[in-house]
Amino acid sequence: MSQQSLILPATGTGTGPGADCAAGTAKGRRNRRLLELAGAAAIAGTYVFLVLTQPADIANGPASFSALVALGGFLLGAVLLIAAALPVLPTSTLVLMPVALVLNVVLGQLMGSTGLPFYFDAIGTVLIAVLAGPAAGAATGALSSIVWSFFNPTVLPFAAGAALIGFLAGLAARGGLFRRFYLAPVAGFVTGILAGAVSAPIAAFVFGGTAGLGTGAVVSAFRAMGDTLLAAITKQALISDPMDKAIVFAIAALLVYALPRRTTFQFPFVRRHRVLAGKVPATPEA
Amino acid sequence: MTATDPTTAAAATASTAVLAARIGSFSFHGERTPALRDIDLSVRPGVLTAVLGGSGSGKTTLGKLLAGWHRPGQSGTFTGSLTLAGQPLEFRGLEDDPRINPSAWSTRVGYVPQDAAAMLSTVRSTVAEELAFGLENRGTPRRDMLRAVARAAEQTGLTALLDRDPATLSGGELRRLAMACAVVQDPWVLVLDEPLASLDAAGIIQVRDLINRLTGAGTGVVLLSQSADGLARSAGHWIILDGGTATASGIPRELIRSAELARTGTLLPAVTHAVPAVRGRAPEPEAAPVLELFGLGFGYPGTGDADGEPLLRDLELTVRPGEIVAITGPNGAGKSTLLRHLNGLLRPHTGEVRIQGRSIAGIPTGRIAASVGLLFQHPRDQLFERTVLREASFGLRRLHGRDAAARADEALEAVGLAGAARTHPAELPASQQRLLALATVLARGPAVLALDEPTVGLDRHGLDRLDRAVAAAAARGAAVVLVTHDAAYARATAHRVLALDGGSLREG
Amino acid sequence: MRMPYTLHPLTSLTAAGCTAVLTTAAGAWPLSLAVALAAVLLAVRAGAGQQVLVAASAVLLPLGLSLLMLHGLFFPEGRTVLAAWGPARVTAEGLAFAWESATRTGACVLVLLLFAFTVSTPDLVAALAGRGLPPQFGFVLASALTLLPAMAGRLERIRAAQEARGLVLRGGVLSRLAAVRLQMVPLVLGLIEDSGSRAEALDARGFGAPGPRTSYRQVADPPAQRRLRTTLLLITAAAVALRLVASWPAAGPA
Repeated sequence: MSQQSLILPATGTGTGPGADCAAGTAKGRRNRRLLELAGAAAIAGTYVFLVLTQPADIANGPASFSALVALGGFLLGAVLLIAAALPVLPTSTLVLMPVALVLNVVLGQLMGSTGLPFYFDAIGTVLIAVLAGPAAGAATGALSSIVWSFFNPTVLPFAAGAALIGFLAGLAARGGLFRRFYLAPVAGFVTGILAGAVSAPIAAFVFGGTAGLGTGAVVSAFRAMGDTLLAAITKQALISDPMDKAIVFAIAALLVYALPRRTTFQFPFVRRHRVLAGKVPATPEA
Repeated sequence: MTATDPTTAAAATASTAVLAARIGSFSFHGERTPALRDIDLSVRPGVLTAVLGGSGSGKTTLGKLLAGWHRPGQSGTFTGSLTLAGQPLEFRGLEDDPRINPSAWSTRVGYVPQDAAAMLSTVRSTVAEELAFGLENRGTPRRDMLRAVARAAEQTGLTALLDRDPATLSGGELRRLAMACAVVQDPWVLVLDEPLASLDAAGIIQVRDLINRLTGAGTGVVLLSQSADGLARSAGHWIILDGGTATASGIPRELIRSAELARTGTLLPAVTHAVPAVRGRAPEPEAAPVLELFGLGFGYPGTGDADGEPLLRDLELTVRPGEIVAITGPNGAGKSTLLRHLNGLLRPHTGEVRIQGRSIAGIPTGRIAASVGLLFQHPRDQLFERTVLREASFGLRRLHGRDAAARADEALEAVGLAGAARTHPAELPASQQRLLALATVLARGPAVLALDEPTVGLDRHGLDRLDRAVAAAAARGAAVVLVTHDAAYARATAHRVLALDGGSLREG
Repeated sequence: MRMPYTLHPLTSLTAAGCTAVLTTAAGAWPLSLAVALAAVLLAVRAGAGQQVLVAASAVLLPLGLSLLMLHGLFFPEGRTVLAAWGPARVTAEGLAFAWESATRTGACVLVLLLFAFTVSTPDLVAALAGRGLPPQFGFVLASALTLLPAMAGRLERIRAAQEARGLVLRGGVLSRLAAVRLQMVPLVLGLIEDSGSRAEALDARGFGAPGPRTSYRQVADPPAQRRLRTTLLLITAAAVALRLVASWPAAGPA
């Protein structure tokens, strides 16, 4: 029989009553912060490198060099972010990750059945980010890409972009942008711009184009005007992604509003940062 | 961090009790009214303690609080104390309260939820690995782990099932697996939430045997139940819970006839159906039938029994206005399948369904719903609105125009939910969710009311509401078809009891 | 489902990953095509041919058509014009680029799907945990893979229950959007509520506790397979290094 103590050691100041994830020493926290920074740096560095060294002439075939750099750099970044966040996430957040993934897939398909020309593949990630915060959002985004790749390997290289979406959604929630319904799509729009720009090199260098016919048509139009492949795909992403993410954030907001308060208030992040409007624990509305 | 001078009374109980709880109040985050208040409870080794109360009385919350599933601070605000094996923990609802270590606490106090599947990790592919999950997480050496798994499996009668996929287990097997997952840690106290709910006779005997063996071996067992059944009557001590607070406690013999118990809505199996429910006059035999099934045949693709016969064959049924028909039969006989034919969710391969004299072939389910109301076994799937009132009003405007609001209020009144009109449906206890789903069906005033296992999970108050709602629907001329495994309920409620057997109905 | 011979899950993972990276590094369509065909053959032999092909075509058909339209018609860098209609020019270079991209992606997708559909998830999770990966990773992977197939049934139950309450599904984007919203709410709510009690159960079963863990399931890992993995990783590293060095000068700033 193990001789664990019945109570957990007291944590320092600054952790709310629900912060059971705060375990760990100052050294551990610094290491995790370093991992997070390294992950973000790997993603940003890869993006800058790819844009600067993009092949001037792609007439000789797809660039293996850029593909390898894009794959390696972005995946490394995603893995570092997961490694930084995963071990310290509380179980209550962890069990949401499979749910987020399932919602990404299923809600994506449901919305796809309405015939609207968007991807809607991040609803679950955004939902979890709103409930559990930026770190959980980033880990959820990256991890769900990895698991999703078991059915569709082409989403694997986009793990870094998915992490960015989750992270930014969490930041928006912390900043109170989900308290008013009309602010959520604005946050989604901005997120879409950044996520689209980061994902464009993957589409251009790893896949040589986009996965859908609709998006392919938009890229074709820019190519017809003489743009380079990366420029054309980036412009296409800047058209589709902000719109897509604005809708996704709005849907996520509607879903969060539809949840009962007992459910949303389970999440320390929602309580501490007052993510949802008018719902303060001390003075609940009638 | 530990005790700040516990009261002398608490100290006295703690000396003999392995687990003692003094609950001042416990409220979930963001809620003003406490879910639990003023409860004193102590669990002695080898003694069965029963906590009895109706639906929504706080039994589950209490069980989870005792077992560290609801942790003070994390799940809600708790004032009071928990004393485990003489180590008292005081909680004042403040940030510097002690924080329970769920991993260590649960090796001493195990909890088995009513929904046994909620206990499982979902990530282990065999029963043996599922049992080992908790041991793996605590770093138990493999040899000890194998021994502990074998012992727990033997205790719970799972030895023959060790290599099965947990997802393929039956309800009773799943319940025993969930209990084994707690027993494998060899806890001092085991909290069981409705351990006999929806088990068949054989399953009930096995679970009761296991509980006897556990108390015999010195484990303190806490039973949470809304039925004062044989198991509850074998308890050494009762606590009666009503509205989140303990209204009485003592030995069963003294409490069984108490007013406190009667108020809670706890079921007393011996007397519940002794008085027949209010049943209207038998319907007039010459009235035109509301529901007719002619030569109904149906089988799921790729299934069928040993002879390849379809699930339903040549099934005939005629129900007149105001008539209540109960359909009984063993699991898998096709009772729910039959009900789904009444509103077109399933379409017969042969034969015809007529509602008010007209065939429903080719009419979408959503339209048939105007004349046929179907209540499902799992009410949660049927609810999707933000408040109870919106739920009951959904789609009424199209059917009833200006009357919509009045009809919704009336339906909520009928099931006793008028006071909860602004509550979120998901925050209702399960039995009230079922009543709300019933209200959504009643509000539409359907000509045919089809109810799938309507009694499951209802306490006595809920059963009363259900009885009255069914009688009222029949009185205004609706045909009621209900499917139930509870033969006594069927006899007490229905004008006719039919058994579904061999694919068709016969007088039961 | 299982391969006729037993591969340690990490061996098949390494093999699939390395093959995908090698194919990308080589960037030669004959190799890509060979890898793709080999993957299909192995999948058929392992009895997972249909699953792999269905999943692969769901991904590759739209991608292939998109590439064909994009590069086949609009490739400003192309010089050998085969046909032209207004702004659209079919060039040999464009078609070659589309073919190269499609075969490379096709090979990678098929190889990874072959791995995904033949590996035993419990073995993979046990093997990953045994290699010191956080157990949380294995949990998310296995839990998502068990949740996903259950979703179709869950959505179907919700839809049936709602139709029984008078929900009529009609055409038109707006009414379908409204119907989707009504279906989403119980789905999301149910999943989040379930996960709340699941978290409590997992914590009670020691899942959140720090410290070393042990494993009930044991996965055989013969030394020959370990050597094979090391060799594969070394070859792949060498190939990647070679490609990076060889292409570096060509990839100067544009």
